[in-house]
This record gives sequence, C-alpha cells and structure tokens, in this order.
Amino acid sequence: MEYVIMTTGFALAIFGLYGLLSQKNLIKIIIGFSIFTTGINIVMVAIGYVRGGIAPILDNEGISQIAAQKSIVDPVPQALVLTSIVIGLGVTALMLAYVMKLYQDKKSLNINDYKNLKW
Amino acid sequence: MVGPIYIIALALGLAFFLGFFGKSLKTFSGFVMLAGLAGMTFISGQWLMAFVDGSATTQEIFTAGFKPPFSINLRMGIEEATFTFMINVIGLLGGIYLFNRLKEVGNSAMSVFIVLIMSLNVIVMTRDIFNLFVFVEIGSIATAGMIILDKTSKSLQAGLKYLLATGVISGLLLIGIIFAYYFAGSLNIDGIIAANLMASKAGAVAVFLIIAVLVLELKPFPANGWGLDVYESSNPGFGAIVSAGTATAGLFVLYKVLPMGGDAWYQYISIIGLITFVGSNLVGTQQKIANRLLGYSSIGQIGLVMTVIGLQPILGDAFAFIAFALLLNHFLAKAGLFWISGIIKKENITDWSALRKNSALLIMFVIFIFALIGFPPFPSFFGKYELIMSLISSDNIWVAVVILIGSFAEGIYMFRWLGHVLKNENSEEEVLDIPWNKFIPIVLVTVSLLAAGFYSVPFVAGANYFYFVPLAFILFLGLIDFLPAYIKNTVSIAGMGYYSWLLYPLVEGDLMRTIFFAIFMFGGILTLVVGYNKSGKREGFYPVALMMYAGLATIVTTDNMFGFFFGWELMTAGSYFLIIRGKRSKPHAYSYMLFSVAGAYLILLGFGLAHASGQTQALIALKDISVLPTLAYTLLAVGFMTKTASLGLHIWLPGAHGEAESDVSPMVSAVLLKAGVFGLMLLFLYMGEQTGDTLLFILGWVGAFTALVGNLAASFQEDAKRMLAYSSIGQLGYILFAIAMMTQLGWLAGFTYVINHFLFKAILFMVVGGIVVKAGTHNLYQMGGLIKKMPLSFLAVLIAMITMAGLPPLSGFAGKWLFYNAVILKGWYIQGVIVFFAGTIAFLYAFKLLHSIFLGQLKDNHRNLKEISPSILIPVYILIAGIFYFSAFPQDVLEPIGNMLANYFPSTLEWAADGNAVTILSNWNGNAVMIIIISMFVLVLGYLWLITGKTQKLEQFNIVYSAERPFRPETTHVSHNMFAGLNKAIGFLVAPGITNFWNNVSKMVLDFAGVVRRLYSGNGQVYAIHIIIYIVVFYLISIG
Repeated sequence: MEYVIMTTGFALAIFGLYGLLSQKNLIKIIIGFSIFTTGINIVMVAIGYVRGGIAPILDNEGISQIAAQKSIVDPVPQALVLTSIVIGLGVTALMLAYVMKLYQDKKSLNINDYKNLKW
Repeated sequence: MVGPIYIIALALGLAFFLGFFGKSLKTFSGFVMLAGLAGMTFISGQWLMAFVDGSATTQEIFTAGFKPPFSINLRMGIEEATFTFMINVIGLLGGIYLFNRLKEVGNSAMSVFIVLIMSLNVIVMTRDIFNLFVFVEIGSIATAGMIILDKTSKSLQAGLKYLLATGVISGLLLIGIIFAYYFAGSLNIDGIIAANLMASKAGAVAVFLIIAVLVLELKPFPANGWGLDVYESSNPGFGAIVSAGTATAGLFVLYKVLPMGGDAWYQYISIIGLITFVGSNLVGTQQKIANRLLGYSSIGQIGLVMTVIGLQPILGDAFAFIAFALLLNHFLAKAGLFWISGIIKKENITDWSALRKNSALLIMFVIFIFALIGFPPFPSFFGKYELIMSLISSDNIWVAVVILIGSFAEGIYMFRWLGHVLKNENSEEEVLDIPWNKFIPIVLVTVSLLAAGFYSVPFVAGANYFYFVPLAFILFLGLIDFLPAYIKNTVSIAGMGYYSWLLYPLVEGDLMRTIFFAIFMFGGILTLVVGYNKSGKREGFYPVALMMYAGLATIVTTDNMFGFFFGWELMTAGSYFLIIRGKRSKPHAYSYMLFSVAGAYLILLGFGLAHASGQTQALIALKDISVLPTLAYTLLAVGFMTKTASLGLHIWLPGAHGEAESDVSPMVSAVLLKAGVFGLMLLFLYMGEQTGDTLLFILGWVGAFTALVGNLAASFQEDAKRMLAYSSIGQLGYILFAIAMMTQLGWLAGFTYVINHFLFKAILFMVVGGIVVKAGTHNLYQMGGLIKKMPLSFLAVLIAMITMAGLPPLSGFAGKWLFYNAVILKGWYIQGVIVFFAGTIAFLYAFKLLHSIFLGQLKDNHRNLKEISPSILIPVYILIAGIFYFSAFPQDVLEPIGNMLANYFPSTLEWAADGNAVTILSNWNGNAVMIIIISMFVLVLGYLWLITGKTQKLEQFNIVYSAERPFRPETTHVSHNMFAGLNKAIGFLVAPGITNFWNNVSKMVLDFAGVVRRLYSGNGQVYAIHIIIYIVVFYLISIG
C-alpha cells in the first residue's frame, strides 16, 4: 500500500513539474506547481507510514510505550507535511498575486511575453 | 547575556506588531523597525564579543527542552555569532539605507524586511534540516516580497521567475530531506552526518538532493538566470541585502551541511564554485547594465567562496582565514557598490560619470572595485595571496590558474566600468542627491573594509604592519586634498624624503637595490618638483602618485615575496590612476591595467611555485625552484616583462605614456619602467645562467626585436610624446637584451642603460611635456624654430639626445661600448646586429625630435612663447649634471657595480688607475674622451663664432612658395612623414600586427561571452528547466 502511495506521489510530482515546465499560461504553470508540491507531500506521508500501524497518540489507556514504538506510524513526517502544506499555500498565493499584477501590467498570461530581462 | 533565541522573538514580535500601526505612524514604525534590527545586531554582537574574548562557550538551544532528534535545535558558537552579526549589520545598515523607501511603501514592507533578516539568522543558527527548509522558504517568500519594493514591470517579472525557480528548488529539497530522515532517523544535521548516508546508494541520493539544492540557492552558473534578474530589476538597496546577506547565510549553510557528503563532495563543490566564478565573470564582460553587472560579479564572488569551501580539506589551517577574508571582502564591497548604484540611479555603466560629482562617493567606489579585484590593502588581497600559495603548495596549480583567470575576467569589466566613471562626459545640470541615510552605510562599509585589510596582516606569512605606514600618509594626503597644489606638493616631497631616509638602511650595502632605490626615490622627488608649475588644486593627484612611489619603495626594500607582491600591486594601482588622468587616456589606462593585472597574476603563480619549492616567503625561495622550474621562471619573466613593455606585451605603453600629463610621463617612463627591470634582474640573479639557458636565449631575441621595433616605430611618430614613449620600448629592449646575456659586461651595460634611460628619458619627457603644454600641440609638424624662444630647453634636449643616441662623450657611449664588448664576448652576433641596426635608427628619431621642435620655422601662434617654467628646468639641469658626472667619471659608478657583479659572473673588465676601462677587446676612458671632445667642441664653436660675423642672416619670411600658399601647409613641414623611404622599406615591421592580435583575443573573449549569455533567454520557464538540467547533470557526474 505505501508503495502505491509513494509511487502516486512521485508520479504527481513529475506530472506537476512537467506542467510547470511546459505550459505557457501562467495560471496553468501555477496549477502545475500546486500538483508538484502535492505530489511531494504525498511522498512525505508515505515515508512515515507503517503497515498496520496505529495513530501516534500516546495515552495511559492505550498500549505500552515499547509496543507503541513498534506499531505507531511515524508522526514526524506528518508534522512536516503540515508545515509543508502551509508553505506551499503561501508560495502559491504569492505567485497568484504576482500573476495578477503582471496581467494588470501587460494584459497577457503568456509567460513568453515576460522576457524583458535577459542576458 | 541576551539569549540568541531573542533575535527570532524580537524580529517576529516586531513584524507582527508593525501591522497594528496605522498609516499615520509610518516614521515611527520605521524607527521601531530600525530599533529592532539594532537589537538583533546587539544580541549577535555581544555573543561575538564574548566568543572573541573567550568568555563564552558554544550554546545549544533545544525546543521544549527535548534533545534532538525529538526537538529542533539552534546553535550559537563563534561561527554562528560571526555570521549572524554580519547579517544583522547588513540588515541594520540596509534598513537605514532603505528607510525612506520602506516608509513610502508602508508598514507591511518593513515587516517583510525584518522577517527576511530574521530568516537569515535562523538559517545560520539552526542545526535541524527541516527547520532549515522552513526558514529558507520564509526567506524566499520575504525575498519575493522585497523584489517588488520598486514596483516596475521588470521587477514583477523578476519576482515571478524567482518564485518559480525557488519553488522547484524547494520541492527537490523537501524530497531530499524526507529521504535523509527516512534513512538517518534524524532531522538533526549532526545526526545525519553521524548516520553516514553516503554508505548506501539511496542515502547518497538524499544527500545529493540536499546539497545540490543548497548549491542552487547560491545561484551556480549557468542555472542562475532567475537570480540575475532579481539583481537587475530590484531596488539596489535590496540587491545589497541579497548579495551580502542572503549569500552569506547560504554559504554558511553549505559549509554546515557539506560534511554529510564526505570528501568527494568537497571536490564537487570546489569545481562548481570554479565554474561559477569563471563563467559568471566571463559572461559579465559583455554586460553594460550596472545592477546586472553587479549581479554577475556577486555570483562570481560567491562562486569563489564556494570553491574555497570545497577546498577546505586541502587548505587545512589556512581555510578559515582565506574563506572569511574573501567572503567579508565581497560582503562589504558589494553592499557598498549596490548602495552607490542606488544613489547614482543610472542603468547603463557608460552613464556613471555622474559619480564624479561627489569625490567621497567616487573614492569609495574606487575602493570597492579594487577590493573586489584583490588589490592591497584589502582583505581579498591577503586572502587571495594565501589561497594561491596554499593551492600551489598542495599541488593544485590548475585550480590556482583557473581562479586567477576568473579574477582577471572580473577585472575586464570592473576596470572598464571604472574608466567610464573616471573619464566619460559629465553633464553639468544634473545634481547628485545624496541623503545622509544612504551615505552613512557606504562610509561604514568602506571603513570596515580598510580595517579588515589591516587586521588580515597576522594571518599571512611575510605581511607586515609597516606596509600601512605609507598608506596612512596617502590617506592624510587625501584628507588635505582641498589645499592648493603647491602645498600638497611640498608635503609630498617632504613625506617622500623622510620615507626614503627611513628606508635607506634596508638597502644600504646592497648596491643593486641602492641604485634602484635611488632611481625610484630621487627620481620620484625630482618628478614631483616639476609639479610646482601646476596651478589649482590638482585634485586626487598626490595620493595616487605617492601610492605608486610607496609601492616602488616596498618592492625594492622588501626581502620577501609577499612584500614584493604587495608593493607591485600598490605601484600598479597608483600608476593606473596617474595614467588615466590624461585627457584621452581612457583606453590606454584600461589596457595598461589589464596587462598589469595579468602580469601580476603570472608573477603570483611564479611566487607560488617558488614558495612550494622552498616553503618560505623569503625572496631566496626564487633560487633553485624545484617545482616546475622552467614554468616558474618563464611565468615570472613574462610577468615582469608586462611592466617593461617587451615586444608582444608593449601595446599599452605608447598611449599610456604619450597621453599622460606632462609630469606624469616622466614618472611612468623614467621611473616606473625600472620596476620591471628590477624584477627581471632579481629573477635572473636567482635563476642563474645554467637553469635559465633557453629562456635567456629567447629573451635575448625578444630584447633585440623589441629594440628594433620600438626605435623604428618611434622614428615614424608625428606625436612628440608618443615618439618618446616608443623610444622607451626600444631602450627597454636594449636592457632586456643586455641582462639576458648574463655576463659581467652585459650586466654592466644593462646598469648603464638603466641609469642613462632614467636620466635622459626624465629630461626629455619633462622638457617636451612642458613644451607641448605651452605650444598647445603634440604634433611635431606643428612646431618648429623654438630654439630662440627656449634655448635652455634646446640645450637640455640636445644633451639628452646625445646620451640616448650613444654618442661620445656622454654616458650613452659608455653603455654602447660595454654593450658591444659584451655582445662579441658572448657571441650573440646576429642579435647584436639587430640591436646595432636599432641603434642607428635611434639617431633618426633623435634628429627628428630635435629638428622639428627647435629648428626650422617658428610658427605664427608660437611667437609669444617663453622658456618653460623653472620648476621644470631645475630638475632637468640636476639630471644633466648627473649625466655629466656619470659620463666623466663612469668608474665611480661602474667599478663598484662591476665588483658586485663579480660575485655572480666571471670578471672580464679591469679598471686601470687612470680610469681606463679595459677588456680583452679594447679600452676606453670616459674621463679622457670627455676632455678631448669638449676641447674640440669649444675650438670648433669658437671658430664658427669668429666666422659667422660675415654671414648674412636668413630671416623667416625670406622664403616664399612661388607666391602661393600650399593647400595643406603641414605637409611641407620637414618632420611630416619624415623617413618615408625607410617606412616603405621596412615599415612593415611596425605594422600593428601585435595590436591586432590582442584586439582579436579580446574580441574572441567578448564574442564567446556574448554567445554564452544567450542562455539567459529571459523566460522564467527556461530558467526552471536550467535548474532541472543542472540537477540531472550534477547527479550523473556525482552519483550516476
């Protein structure tokens, strides 16, 4: 199961990256970026997965600490994913804001129209 | 002490807090922001102080009291304290600089700014790889916000490209981090290092992704188009933060995580750094837009520091000093340059002459440029010297060569820029607006740069605080620059006199050094005396003139290679500024500088090889070089020959000397050229005839052809000063030829030429310079008949010409006599014939100069001319007295030199008691020749005087052109196209083949740069593709 998830994650990341690199429309590029980060997030979750594991919540009524270490899924990647999602959100929002401003400037969403800086 | 965690708390709190202030409180918010940045600076500063005086130990800070891997930890050690302090200082100064702009944009901009600085602090302090990722991202987002501080179409585009590129980069980083965690079981950097992920292939991939991405954050060439666009389009005040602050943090992170990869990775990083340093600077050579140029330079310099980080295992103990010196130098100089750019507000570097409107700003600009290229006394000079020495000692000469190539490429555009600043037209109306809050930060980084140079001394073998004494005097001269020229002239002469007296004990007893010391110091003072005829303030002249003389004094008095190189570079810098003062000197000063920098680098490599052989900085290391001796001696010889302007390396000289100011020409010709000769003599003595056999033979030929071509070109010149300049090339050719013979007679001839050339070339350039100013033209065919107006000048030129042409009774003949004896004894007949032929050509231009200026018809516009100023004639006649003394009593000078040379070469010259010089071929008595010729001269003169009473005087207008006026009167002038027949016969020898060769070389470099920079197509997607390709290629090379 975790391999399926991880493969899906990688596939999504690569699809997203391909979209980011090949699309000419700025909005589509950003959608590509979103898919790319989503794929990476899925990979992260897959890394922490333990087959048949339980939620990493320790309380007095549950299993012993030693058993828990063996059977709970790793909580660290899950914590990381949350941070990563937040950052991805921030970056995507900023990109969209940029696209909005660029559109106001030149009335175009084609990335080829924004090559004033070069060489 | 305040805990380092409060840096973060303070910044976050303030950034949050600023949001509550309304728009009416903008100024207040601004000061709150600055107070916050000052607080952050204070916290890191006090930690730094504590670490420096040893009262603190490295602190580890854990979140919530857990130890890693269960917590995030920050570290505050001496390294972290240093780097956070640097970042906070640049944040504070940058905040002051951007104060008005941030205030205009509003509180949100201030919040973003403070968050950016905070994120850089955490990047430095954190030991947790995921935390690192988070703050790299926060930094990126804040950067993307700051890029549009000036909201222009370009900055918007740059911002989006930046976001796309960093988005891709951080995605890859995240994959690397999660796999590193998976394999190492820890997010702590030390934990990952301990886990040794490189042992497994999958682990190696994780490490690869982390390190490769952190390298990409440093904008390696060529996957860095997005970074260049940011430098070009954003506010230069922010460019300073990126170039100095962000890069510093990024380099520290690389240094921190590199142990994850082990030894192989150090090597990769050094190669990536080298490619970036050379590539970025090479492509920069085509750039005309100031901020983008600074971007290229920033990326290049960061590449250099990256190289040094990669070389850490090789450099050993020297690593910390070299890396820090180079980084600090870039940090301060680049921040300063970006800040100046923000004041000038000119996009194109050709428009930067506006900088001349403020001399303080101009001087600081110059300091930054020279610091970046690695001139003394800046930290990069010390760092680079130590780097090259260490590299060659550890058998990495090719790395040293590549670094110097990159550095030279940086010089190509930096000195072109400087030339535009110093010489381009300047419009009067424009006023430079320099608010104090923009000025103060620039002053502070300048002062820090100078202080950093001073404190570099203890880290470099051979360096000495004493070298800063003349620099302090130069600084003083700079501060009194507002005084009239004659006062500064007096102060300069007094300073040089005192300094000579102070240094004399260092050369006492060493005759060769004493002779050169006398030429440099005494000659220097005489040429300064000429300066009394200049009125006004002569702004900026005295500091640079004294800088050149300080460099010369250092070269001749030092006993170690570092001191020699220090003096050499100081002399180069000073002479560059002297030369570029001429009205049309921009291109000539530029080519002079490029040849000098290249020559200096060759010398540096040669010194490196000597140091690697002898493991000492003492000059004695040049003896018996065992590591690649042929290469080492060749490099050194060619390096010195860039200064003696030997054939092939001479193209800078005619323009540089010919276009210089009237008293600068004698400085750079009579005095400065001898520095190269001193270097060559020193080199040849250490090298010895046996080791340098082939090299010396080739140099003999080079000397012979230099003499021929120099003299021939001189004879075709129509421009008086250029003629003298070409004549210098020829004379230096004689000297090279003479000393390449490596015999006692050859060297005696060489010394005689050195002394003679100093004497007569100083006289000629002083007098001709004075006449050119009075006559208002350089062109010989526009002069004539000045003998009656300027008899004393005529006499001086006549005597100098007799000396130069090698006619008895003056000392030029002594040189010739020694020379021919030497040639015959050595058996270099063919070369000797060439030199002999060159000598006869010297008659031609001697005659042409004398005749065209002083004889013939007086020109209408010269009727009211008077004799040139006594401040020129006095030094000239002192020099003439020198010529007569040397001519009449040559044995007083030559006998001790001969005795000294007997230590190195078999003695072939005897001095009889009556002053007769005897070789196995012939004998000659300077004293007697002088008496005989002067008596004959007096007799003939008396006879002529007796008979001239009967002649009819021919007045000027007794001549007519058959009642017509020629169409172009100058074509009828005797010196117009003089020696046309000779030109037709062998003029091809002076066809500008060598100039064309160098022009083609430079065109090839620029064309190459022009092709490579097409990579930067301007499309953000293409830049993202560059990043992916970079990762793939890098992966294939390192792991796959």
